[in-house]
Amino acid sequence: MRFFSLLIRNIKETYRDALALGFLLAFPLVFMLLFGFAFGGNGSVSYGVGVVDNDSTDASHTFISDALGAADVLYVNAYSSTDNALEDLRQGNISSYIVIPEGFGEQVAMIWQQIPGNVELDITYDESNLSVSSNVISIINSITRSYLGIEIPITINTNPINIESKITQIDFIAPGIIVFGLLIMIPTAGRIMLRDKETRFLHRMMTTPARPWEFIAGYSLSMAIIAIIQVVLFILLGWLFGMDIVGNIWLAFAIFALTALCSIGIGMIAASLAKSENQGESLSWLFSMPLAMISGVWFSIEFLPSYIRFFADLFPYSHAVSASRAVITRGVGMEAISGDFIFLVVWTVVVFIIGTFLFQRSMRS
Amino acid sequence: MENPLSVRKPDDGFAIQTFDLTRIFGKLVAVDGINLDIKKGELFAFLGPNGAGKTTTISMLCCLLKPSSGTALVMGKDINREPYKVKAAIGISPQDTTLSDHLTPIENLELIGNLHQLPPKIVKQRARELVETMGLEDRAKDQVRKFSGGMKRRLNIAMALINDPQIIILDEPTLGLDPQSRRIVWKYISRLKKNRTILLTTHYLEEADFLADRIGIIDEGKIVALGTALELKTDMIDTHTIIIKAWNLTQKTIMEMKEKYEDVQITDGTMTITDKRVGFKEIVDYLHNAGTVIRSAYIKEPSLDDVFIRITGKKLRE
Repeated sequence: MRFFSLLIRNIKETYRDALALGFLLAFPLVFMLLFGFAFGGNGSVSYGVGVVDNDSTDASHTFISDALGAADVLYVNAYSSTDNALEDLRQGNISSYIVIPEGFGEQVAMIWQQIPGNVELDITYDESNLSVSSNVISIINSITRSYLGIEIPITINTNPINIESKITQIDFIAPGIIVFGLLIMIPTAGRIMLRDKETRFLHRMMTTPARPWEFIAGYSLSMAIIAIIQVVLFILLGWLFGMDIVGNIWLAFAIFALTALCSIGIGMIAASLAKSENQGESLSWLFSMPLAMISGVWFSIEFLPSYIRFFADLFPYSHAVSASRAVITRGVGMEAISGDFIFLVVWTVVVFIIGTFLFQRSMRS
Repeated sequence: MENPLSVRKPDDGFAIQTFDLTRIFGKLVAVDGINLDIKKGELFAFLGPNGAGKTTTISMLCCLLKPSSGTALVMGKDINREPYKVKAAIGISPQDTTLSDHLTPIENLELIGNLHQLPPKIVKQRARELVETMGLEDRAKDQVRKFSGGMKRRLNIAMALINDPQIIILDEPTLGLDPQSRRIVWKYISRLKKNRTILLTTHYLEEADFLADRIGIIDEGKIVALGTALELKTDMIDTHTIIIKAWNLTQKTIMEMKEKYEDVQITDGTMTITDKRVGFKEIVDYLHNAGTVIRSAYIKEPSLDDVFIRITGKKLRE
């Protein structure tokens, strides 16, 4: 079990290295704490949202009272006309307002009967306060989808009104921060490999009869174990701050684990291509921070231009955020997130094949 | 191309045999068709300046680098065909001190032992013994990143011994050490010498002179001289050098000496005379008769440095 010795060594080398540990655990932890204190608890932050009900059916009434009204994070004001709502938005009394168009009730009914349809809501928001607005839009989006049960029609049919919609800010933030923690594993994942390459410790180990695959297994499995510890720690912390996991925790865990593997794979590629630890790490940060920005780990990306979102969607992290958020806050099952899930699996496999190939090549040189 | 193995036959008495071993990097021929036999139980020193091809040769013998052509047998195993068996037979202490910084010396030793797939009990026992032998037992529980350069060097060598290898390769084992630490390392290497084959590279002449049974001088990828230190000195140096310090050397005497002998150098009242035929008594008598007051006169022993300059036309540390 040579790779096991390597694995143990790599874990020791990481957890005894204050800097590595800092980036792996403390850095995302600080984010989590900051967001946790800022938004944690039972909806200590709430956004004022206006509603103009042009439909005025039972469906729209229950949507306002039982879905929007039940979300702690929203403070709902009803308006008789868009002019009044707009005025209050201008005054800063509300962060945005929703217009429920005529025909909403019919559309909802159709969806509940599983007839394909399209529900439209007009949301007007304050562009100058982008971070609040984008969060509110995402929250309204989540609530609406929960209410309509687009993702879990069977549950909705039996009890459409009492579905979970008490989304607090921490529910919304925590999955993103966890994914952020996994994303910034990229620089750390490659660190040991790069250091071993640079100090030529890898060469020393390669003078033993250990096989290349054993090195790769030793490096990637040790990082995977660290990633699992990280995920467990973050989920616990999120839970302490009041994050409710509505859906299947193992499914959420699987999403995070795949995301971690993607980061390890990318880290392995970076470690194979970079010439030094410094170069590799700087490049990894240069790559991962902007990617974090556009992948929706800190704030919702729904307001971002479509070409940026398209770019972000090429990488696993935006998929991980939306899938884990869907599972954690809306309680959806595999069938609703299968697209994202498959995307993550494919990414993991591909990135590992490339990483293994490149790392083996760099070991030979 | 002719099979290099067909020219010289593999022989069980040798620990290492190279056959036209060659490595080319782009246009640079780093190792140029080396043919070398190193006997079992011998301490062989590769002596040469930086970039001569010592480390490249060693990398090929350790199967870290594939030869461009030619091959080598290490304990009878072909480096191209059975690299893992070769690796099992050798222990290497690389030129750079390469340790796992956040591990203790014991953990470092155990890691390499485990990678050799030795029984855990033996690995533990040997690691403890090696830490003691290297005088590191007081720091056995400290992470090696806190160690001094000398301590790291010693551990670096110890890591080559954890698998009790038949062949030990020490690549510049004392590079960058102060003279005192160097002596300690030398002493330890001498002790190892008894029962194992050791291949050592160095660009310290004293080191090769002090330690090695045989020396191979390597320059620009080729072995340019091979033999014991004594053989190299007597074979390669056919001239004698006499150094005389005198009070009152006159221009006339100097001119006369320069006419008589091949090479006469004068610096600060010291005359260095080098010639193929030069008699100590003859010179001393001659100077005495010329009225020169001699402070000291001695015959200079040839050094490996002289050998090196003689063969390559350059100093070793250039």
